[in-house]
Amino acid sequence: MSSRRRRCKRQLIKFTQHIARLISGTLKSDNEDEELESTTERYQPENLEQLQSQTHFSRQELQLLYRGFKNECPSGVVNEDTFKNIYALFFPMGDSAKYAYFLFNAFDKDQNGSLSFEELVCDLSVLLRGTTQEKLNWAFNLYDIDKDGHITKEEMFDILKSIYDLMGKSIHPRLKEEKMDINQDGVVTIDEFIDSCQKDENIMQSLKIFDNAV
Amino acid sequence: MAGGVAAWLPFARAAAIGWMPVASAPMPLPPRDKRRSQDGLIILNVSGSRFQTWRNTLERYPDTLLGSTERDFFFHEETNEYFFDRDPDIFRHILNFYRTGKLHYPRHECISAYDEELAFFGIIPEIIGDCCYEEYKDRRRENAERIQDDAENENNNDMVVPSLSFRETMWRAFENPHTSTMALVFYYVTGFFIAVSVMANVVETVPCGTASNRVKELSCGERYALAFFCLDTACVMIFTVEYLLRLIAAPSRYKFVKSVMSVIDVVAIMPYYIGLVMTDNEDVSGAFVTLRVFRVFRIFKFSRHSAGLRILGYTLKSCASELGFLLFSLTMAIIIFATVMFYAEKGSSSSKFTSIPAAFWYTIVTMTTLGYGDMVPKTIMGKIFGSICSLSGVLVIALPVPVIVSNFSRIYHQSQRAEKRRAQKASKEAGQSLVCKANPIFDTDHHHLLHCLEKTTNHEFVDEQTYETSCMEVSGMKQSMSCSSSSSSSPHGLTCCSRRNKRKSFNVPNSNMTGIRRGSIQELSTIHIRERPQSNSRSSLNAKFEETVPLNSEEQPYITAAVISMPTPPVTTPEGGDSSCSTDFLRSNIVRVSAL
Repeated sequence: MSSRRRRCKRQLIKFTQHIARLISGTLKSDNEDEELESTTERYQPENLEQLQSQTHFSRQELQLLYRGFKNECPSGVVNEDTFKNIYALFFPMGDSAKYAYFLFNAFDKDQNGSLSFEELVCDLSVLLRGTTQEKLNWAFNLYDIDKDGHITKEEMFDILKSIYDLMGKSIHPRLKEEKMDINQDGVVTIDEFIDSCQKDENIMQSLKIFDNAV
Repeated sequence: MAGGVAAWLPFARAAAIGWMPVASAPMPLPPRDKRRSQDGLIILNVSGSRFQTWRNTLERYPDTLLGSTERDFFFHEETNEYFFDRDPDIFRHILNFYRTGKLHYPRHECISAYDEELAFFGIIPEIIGDCCYEEYKDRRRENAERIQDDAENENNNDMVVPSLSFRETMWRAFENPHTSTMALVFYYVTGFFIAVSVMANVVETVPCGTASNRVKELSCGERYALAFFCLDTACVMIFTVEYLLRLIAAPSRYKFVKSVMSVIDVVAIMPYYIGLVMTDNEDVSGAFVTLRVFRVFRIFKFSRHSAGLRILGYTLKSCASELGFLLFSLTMAIIIFATVMFYAEKGSSSSKFTSIPAAFWYTIVTMTTLGYGDMVPKTIMGKIFGSICSLSGVLVIALPVPVIVSNFSRIYHQSQRAEKRRAQKASKEAGQSLVCKANPIFDTDHHHLLHCLEKTTNHEFVDEQTYETSCMEVSGMKQSMSCSSSSSSSPHGLTCCSRRNKRKSFNVPNSNMTGIRRGSIQELSTIHIRERPQSNSRSSLNAKFEETVPLNSEEQPYITAAVISMPTPPVTTPEGGDSSCSTDFLRSNIVRVSAL
């Protein structure tokens, strides 16, 4: 009863405000202007030497990467929506939202909702110039959606589904988790993951193909 | 994909590592490492302004001049930069396109200059960003309209075709009264008679005092019936003669008969003839009286004489949708308010609002704020709704009116501009003839070329004198021709240079550039170079017909096929055969010579 009264009151107040605005003749656009001042987040990366020491990239490569990055994101950070849009451009035929979301979480180490250049470039150096151990580590991190150290069947299925979604068709992905789950306890830990991957020659080979991406 | 997104490709590829552990098939080999060229700075020197950018930035768009190897043609070894002799202000925008992926159109730049720069650098204008695209398209359309206007006006005014048939002369006389004195006389005479006829129609209804043996007051028409009848007959005879002459002279009779002016003419004179035919049959004379109303349509014949009336008519035609909307909204409002008023006034006694259609009259009178006062609401509710009706009437009518006004203003200004341009043309030509200076290097090379041609064909270019005299006589008949202007500029030619210069002055106006047609020799270099590609196309050959017809008709017997293979024989009918005068000129010259 009281909620109804409250709602009634709110409506009444809005109505009187509306009438007041009508009489005084304020333009609607005046109110909307205030919302336009968005909080512009600006972020500057660490200096070049530090990044050079943290990653395996050369100075020129870092310069190139940052110039492209800054062109695209002048504010210095990538938020999830931009990430999703970019991925949608790369994979236009399918639905890349889910995969972009997982990827974003994998990149975003401190889970603050935005990617800075350092996070991106550090991960990039791992993926492109790191050891296979590091790469598999990263892949495990990607698959482990809730970051609890275990990959459950559901997480695996979700990841696979999102990857297959990039194709655009709804395919029932083939689960390889059973193969990886050595002690058959329903989850895959990082050691099991790395072990089973290292045994597979195909996987080892394919981890190297993007080494010249920059 | 835009160049900017390519910056994300390394990230996307790296992230693909995440697919590897769960891949169901082995991966394809990566593409071979392409030219991983060092990303260096490129210096672009545009007329002195140095622009610098990364090589990669330019190579984002490989199908443009700057992004492809085409730019190597502009490389200047001594300064190790790329030099372009173009406008640096506009180049700024073009370079920004490479940088940001968005092409903007600066409002203060001339649209044709901008288009030229875009064409030079190989950028299609369709990629102009949304922010500037509308403006760009508007300006382009405006420019095209203006050029088209110019072309049409030139066609209309300057078409000197001396040996038209009598029929064509007559038609031209009717359409453009300024072409000959006869046409002008005819124009004024018809105008006078239109006025007389309309005045007679008006005056004959004025009451003229009673006759001796009548009670009722007579109108002037009934009193001086014979006089008015004679006047009417005279006017109608003039109009009939005019209509028949137009009908004979019209190039397409069917089109003429369908046109609006012809219908007005017919409607203006029919009542008289019907009146002649009909006897004093009582039954039909009532209908006959209403037919006389159509005599007032004679006033529309004035629209041939007044450009302003034509503009008004054209405006109304072009605002048809706004007018339609106005009508529709008015009708809606009228019906609503009439219904409301009817039911509001139903209660009051002796109310004039007897039915809803009767209330229409009240609503219309009130909404247009006329307020005759013959129908007035008496109840309170009726008065309230009546006041709301009059308030809303102002709004409903005032809204579409500015649209119509702006349309009228635009069309009116366009016609004013055309008039102004025509008036300015004389001073513009004077200015251009002052500016024209022969380009000496170009001249000598051009002379040499013509000399080579002479040697090749073993004939000589002669007879500029005879050409000029024939031109003069042609231009004497109809002024405003390129020949006369060229002969006016030929004194410059004579002073500047040898006889060959005059030949060039003939060439210049005969180019297909409508804007630069008149004798600017300085523009020759641009015109001439442009002419070449144009004269290759058949369409340009057929585009404009110049005054060489008389020459060609003279020289018909002299044409030898051996001298030049003519693409199209220029000696077609005067109406049909159009050719650019330059090629004609050369042909005609050589043709002459072969007869010698």
